[in-house]
Amino acid sequence: MRSLSVRVLIVDDHPEFRAATRELLEDAGYLVTGEAAGALAAVAAVAAQAPDVVLLDVQLPDGNGFEVAAQLSRDGAGPVVVLVSSRDAEDYGRRVARCGARGFVSKSRLTAATLASVLR
Amino acid sequence: MSSRAAPVPQAQVSVLRDPVLVLPLAVGAGLAVGWEGLHNGISGGRVAVDLSLCWGFVAASLVALQRSRWRRPRLLLAVAGLALLAADLEWFNAPGLWTLGLALEWVWLAVIVQLVLTFPDGRPWSWLANATIVAGYLAAAVGGLASVLVSVDHRDALSILASQSATDTVARARAGLGFAVLLSTLALIGWRLVSLRGATWRAQAPLLVGAALALPLMAVTLAQLTLTNQDSAVNTIARALTGLIPLGFLAGIAWSRLRRTQANDLVVDLRSSGEVTLRDRLARTLGDPTLELAYRLSDGRYVDESGAAAVVPDRPGRAVTMLTARDEIVAALVHDPALLDEPGLVESVRATAGLVLENERLAAEVRAQLAQVRASRARLVVATDEERRRIERDLHDGAQQRLVAVCVALGTAAGRAQGPTRQAFLSAQDDLEQAIAELRQLARGIHPTLLREEGLDAALDGLAGRTPVPVRVEGSIGVRLAPAVELAAYFVACEALTNVVKHAHANAATVHVAHVGGVLSLSVTDDGDGGAHSAIGGGLAGLRDRVEALDGTLRAENDPAGGTTICAEIPCAS
Repeated sequence: MRSLSVRVLIVDDHPEFRAATRELLEDAGYLVTGEAAGALAAVAAVAAQAPDVVLLDVQLPDGNGFEVAAQLSRDGAGPVVVLVSSRDAEDYGRRVARCGARGFVSKSRLTAATLASVLR
Repeated sequence: MSSRAAPVPQAQVSVLRDPVLVLPLAVGAGLAVGWEGLHNGISGGRVAVDLSLCWGFVAASLVALQRSRWRRPRLLLAVAGLALLAADLEWFNAPGLWTLGLALEWVWLAVIVQLVLTFPDGRPWSWLANATIVAGYLAAAVGGLASVLVSVDHRDALSILASQSATDTVARARAGLGFAVLLSTLALIGWRLVSLRGATWRAQAPLLVGAALALPLMAVTLAQLTLTNQDSAVNTIARALTGLIPLGFLAGIAWSRLRRTQANDLVVDLRSSGEVTLRDRLARTLGDPTLELAYRLSDGRYVDESGAAAVVPDRPGRAVTMLTARDEIVAALVHDPALLDEPGLVESVRATAGLVLENERLAAEVRAQLAQVRASRARLVVATDEERRRIERDLHDGAQQRLVAVCVALGTAAGRAQGPTRQAFLSAQDDLEQAIAELRQLARGIHPTLLREEGLDAALDGLAGRTPVPVRVEGSIGVRLAPAVELAAYFVACEALTNVVKHAHANAATVHVAHVGGVLSLSVTDDGDGGAHSAIGGGLAGLRDRVEALDGTLRAENDPAGGTTICAEIPCAS
């Protein structure tokens, strides 16, 4: 179990995925500070909640995760961003590496272990 | 044949009310004037020149009867001839006739100026031409009237202020103004000759060249009169040279008739022609480089020879002549209005080209239908691509999202369970993850996200990375191309690499891509046994249809030493 001090914000426009992920993370000892369903809401939630980690979906209704990740990582003092998508990282090419995110996890492979390996 | 621009009704072919009377009048009056001149000491040369000019002008006006658009020039030709004769009334001793001759002495030259500067449709070329014409008549009429009022000659019936100095002054002023008028006329002729093109130039050039050759010496004569007020032999020579004007007029007609004969030979030319198009041959025969040929399809639309839609204009400066075969309009000639001055010429073309035109019309119709089919096929490709994109998004946003949520939930459940139950959850999660991977692969094959988001360079890199054999990507595009072009090239690379993996027994493959001169070139080369693509078949056959729908080509080349290359070339704009 990871430290209770790791605070996570879940950003995804699908409520089923958010709910399943919240349960997964909470079972693994993470503190889920909140959820957001879009890019603007994500930026606002980060400002309000100051999470340690943002689990960020690539495709959002009002923007894309790459732009949000770049914005959150701009000054180096923001949270750690982990991109998630139902597609593979190879479907996005070099954008994953360029956007400032710590890593990428395919949603179907999202477990406590895969997340921990990215955050390690 | 029918013409929208300027119908040529036969009823109009009667301009000089009764042309038959004009010629006897000119001949009879000319003989009378000539006889009187010879009797009163006028030189035989001068009499011969003036009578020849008079009859030449009148005869030229009668020869041009079939040219209905030249009604005004014909009239002016006849008037110039008769006015010249009227000026020679000075050769009579009878005061009335002598006075009339003096008053009308230079009217014939003013008429010639008007003839030239309004040729061929009777309208002045410009405001300057109009001013020149008015100045010419002013010099002739006012100068003539002033001359008779101040003349010291005893035959003058209207002299009221007989004065030699006044006579000299009036004569010089009249000649000076006439000189200026001729200079302006020559300048306008020069400008006209260099600015006209094609059929218009051909129709007008002979007369204008005749005037350009004739009028300079007449200007010298007037300059001499202005300076010295002395008549000389130069005047007679200058008058003789004005005969070049009706000669030029007649030369233009002869030229037209010669070209009509050439048009009659067109049918031979049509049969023996090589790659020259019918439009080009018609343009050459009619002497109109601007000529356009539009075929009328059975549905009433017009197309050019390539089958592309054509517009038959209805605007000033262009004339339209409908060409018919078997009482049906088969084509429209859009041409220089000057060709309407030669109705026999266009009629000859119509008669000789009718059958060929009908065949060409059918060919153009087939080409138009082919163009429609090609455009339709291209639209189908675009629509299919859009549909693929929609399906891929639906898969991603719908089924995939629900399945990944279930997958995550199974992982959570596995974490909470123990023993066999935990194993069952983990097994189910593995199976589901595999199913999601297959679904993801399917979606990628329907419409690749990386291609849509990042372009062909990134998509080819991704494709090379996923292919089981080593693939090197050479070259790059650097810009985004039309989605249909990018997708076609990507699918060609996918299919070719799939064949390499399945059939070529290759150790490596190379994808080369380039965008040069508006053409996207993509080739996939392997080092296998050369049998992977003995012919374009299977999946590549469908891709060839897609590539050809974009006006591209797809071919397979087998290297005798081993290996195969698949090449696609697709025209595109970035």
